Amino acid sequence: MGAEPGTTETVLSLDRVTKLFGTARAVDSVSLSIRRGEVFTLLGPSGCGKTTTLRLVAGLEHPDEGEITLRDRVVASAPRRLFLAPNRRNLGMVFQSYAVWPHMTVFENVAYPLRLRGTTRSAVREKVGRILDLVGLGGLADRPGTLLSGGQMQRLALCRALVYEPDLLLLDEPFSNLDAKLREQMRAEVKLLQRRLGITVLFVTHDQVEALSLSDRIAVMHGGRIEQVGSPRCLYEEPASAFVRDFLGQTVILQGRVGPASGEASRVAVELNGSLSGRTLSGRLAASVALEAGAAAHLSIRPEDIEVCPLGSPASQANQLPAMIDALAFVGDRYEARVSLGEHRIVLFLPRAREWREGEPLQLGFPPEMVSVWPA
Amino acid sequence: MAGLTHTIEVPGARRLELQGVLCTLVLALVALVVVFPLVLVAVQSFQVAPPGQPVRYGLDGWRAALGEPGLRTALVNTFNVTFVRQLLSLPLAVFLAWLLARTDLPGRHWLEFAFWAAFFLPPFTVTLSWILLLDPEYGLLNTWLAGLVGARPFNIYSFWGIVWVHVITGSLTVKVILLTPAFRNMNASFEEASRVAGAGGLRTALRITVPVMAPAILSVLLLGTMVSLQTFEVEQVLGLPFRFFVFSTTIYDLLVTRVPRYDAATALAVLVLAAMLPLVLAQQWLTRGRRYTTITGQFQSRLHRLGAWRLPALCLAVAFVVIVLGVPVVLALLGTFMKLFGFFQIADPWTLANWSNVLGDETFLRSLRNTVVLATGTAVATIVVHSLIAYIVVRTRYAGRQLLDVISWLPFTVPGIILGLALLWLFLGVGFLRPLYGTTALLVIAGVIAGMPLGVQIIKSGLGQLGGELEEASRIAGASWWATYRHIVLRLMAPTLLAVGMITFVGAARNIGNFALLTTTANRPLSMLQLDYVAQRKLEEAVVVACVIMFVSLGGALLARLLGLRSGSLG
Repeated sequence: MGAEPGTTETVLSLDRVTKLFGTARAVDSVSLSIRRGEVFTLLGPSGCGKTTTLRLVAGLEHPDEGEITLRDRVVASAPRRLFLAPNRRNLGMVFQSYAVWPHMTVFENVAYPLRLRGTTRSAVREKVGRILDLVGLGGLADRPGTLLSGGQMQRLALCRALVYEPDLLLLDEPFSNLDAKLREQMRAEVKLLQRRLGITVLFVTHDQVEALSLSDRIAVMHGGRIEQVGSPRCLYEEPASAFVRDFLGQTVILQGRVGPASGEASRVAVELNGSLSGRTLSGRLAASVALEAGAAAHLSIRPEDIEVCPLGSPASQANQLPAMIDALAFVGDRYEARVSLGEHRIVLFLPRAREWREGEPLQLGFPPEMVSVWPA
Repeated sequence: MAGLTHTIEVPGARRLELQGVLCTLVLALVALVVVFPLVLVAVQSFQVAPPGQPVRYGLDGWRAALGEPGLRTALVNTFNVTFVRQLLSLPLAVFLAWLLARTDLPGRHWLEFAFWAAFFLPPFTVTLSWILLLDPEYGLLNTWLAGLVGARPFNIYSFWGIVWVHVITGSLTVKVILLTPAFRNMNASFEEASRVAGAGGLRTALRITVPVMAPAILSVLLLGTMVSLQTFEVEQVLGLPFRFFVFSTTIYDLLVTRVPRYDAATALAVLVLAAMLPLVLAQQWLTRGRRYTTITGQFQSRLHRLGAWRLPALCLAVAFVVIVLGVPVVLALLGTFMKLFGFFQIADPWTLANWSNVLGDETFLRSLRNTVVLATGTAVATIVVHSLIAYIVVRTRYAGRQLLDVISWLPFTVPGIILGLALLWLFLGVGFLRPLYGTTALLVIAGVIAGMPLGVQIIKSGLGQLGGELEEASRIAGASWWATYRHIVLRLMAPTLLAVGMITFVGAARNIGNFALLTTTANRPLSMLQLDYVAQRKLEEAVVVACVIMFVSLGGALLARLLGLRSGSLG
């Protein structure tokens, strides 16, 4: 194994794969392809079909439509009535519960897949020892699998899934059973291990921070379909749909109507509604969206992109709105402020460089390149 | 690793179909031996020609079942015995379960274990030992009272004698062992709220605990009623001397004579099954979706302090343990050493001859061999068949899995003698199965079916706790289905499967109701031999055999418990 730089070999591809549970389309015509050596993440809320997609790849579910190809083999195809059993796909998988076999020791757990492959006794001992050492479980080889801590069980599950050098590693919400601190640590460990061994990973999670920090590419899923595929940054900054926009990170949404067309094609001015009526903000049109003058529109901006401007500075009237601090909480490295913006209540992080007061008026700036305009 | 990957495409749809075919095969087989025989019984009830003559359909059987005074009386007797024994045992069981689970009764865990052991006492053995106490002529209790007050008030060969033996064998113990865990799992805050509101212990028990537990109690009552119809040896031993028949002994009587009356027997069986139907439906309705309503995870169960009532309550509970466990075990053992069963007054009543006679008897040894083969075969077949059924129901998406689940529960609702009758019909009526009649294999099949509801239920709950990911992890690691089953499922389920094997071994060794109509002298096991000894009035031999079966039962039950079986997994 080991990633060869520059290769774009496809390890896994799904071609319009559908899975029905009764009449519900749990996975609905999903197509994607994963390149060698990358971490590809399926991200979405529970029930979006991400775990079912993973299980289809693993061979734990049978697709009702479409085709799955692993490297150059078709492993499941509904039209051709093909199905390769999970044990013949050469995949590794870490389960949410880790699925550490309780009747085996740490060593036996990791040795099991090697023994199934007919590896010689001495090679088993050598390979298992090496991978256990790699994750720091070397001293625990003879311990029963169930007498490990959560983090150790996870490392064990990872060893067991990697020891036979699978073509693809499947991770099914592997961090969800760990406490917050351990989760962060394991995330870093897995990423290091992946980079070091050059493993190709298909990762399923509902946690956006996990997805953003671990992935090379992310597919956001919703209602059994893929909403958007892209790099973490691309998804965060240029969401293709309102669902992706709202699922990833925080957004502040303001309602209004599209104003008269301006000179610039991509720049739109929006006249705000409600208690902010009479004011206008301009922003860029969201990707692949067309809006006519007078159409109802949503303005969206990430809270961290909102600027706090000095009050009453005359040059700063464009794309600014007045606001007021309702409540302040000092959380150590910054202030968390509940701010009322017309009838909207938003949360802003304020620097601790200066003192803030509850009831203090603010002037908020909305940089036009950070504001996106969506159809309502 | 890349070199190992296959580039050929594997026709895997075959595997999918193979699983479906296998599941369908199991379903068909289970339906063949459970449902089909019952249908045959129903059809047979309209077939009025005597055996060996051309088939002729009519209503004579039904006319007999509904009209003949003897048969009608049997139905009335069945109803009376069932009703009275449930009426007596339910309040007692509720009270004992409350004592064991909700109070600070000393030694309550040992007492609960004693009731559990008593549940495994063979009813036949218990019946014999109570004959020693309550026989109208020589019963120990009667002779003692005769010396004291000059009267012999008890007669075990009576309606009340039968009810008494029933209450202390099946009816009471099964309810206690099912109700105690249910009471223990009840949320204590219901009771605490009542105590805080000012109610005393007894008032709280009567006004809060029992009503809250009403669904569980009712469910146990229905289950208990079904279980109680599985045996027929009590009536067979105690009822025959004074010509008291219930439906099961009547069916036996109609069939085991010179001119068997199949039509009347089957019509009677169909009537009883029809009468069971409302019980079955009510039980299903009660347990649907509300199994866990009274259970909460984190409650701190504060036990009710008995205070001054501690000692009387303990005495009462111990008295019941003595009645249901101590008396039968001790007296049955004593009985085996008596020259004349039950006659304590004769000079020098004790002897070892019974044991040496029986143990040296060719008939006994043949039956012992039959029982060992039968019980071992049943246990092994049970482990395979029941785990297969449970696996299909719990782990697969096979379309017929719910149907399979229901069918596997069905034998619970069919009285033992009727299941035996149905199997008799299957094996006499279906050509290619006929050679099995009179063999031990036939009894093994009966044993597997009789143990099915309990066995499948226990394995199902064990599999449920196993978690599917352990198996899936093995598949992905490269193990085939079969390798996964051997290395993971079987290894992890081993204690559960052994426990199931153990209790079916016990069940097969002591079973009378299911086997009564299926045995010939060739395949007669010990449980039937003791019944035959009673019919020949050889009570000394009968009680020796009964003791052997009792030891097998208690030993097996104890082993199963050591393997982790608890009464909680039975319900």
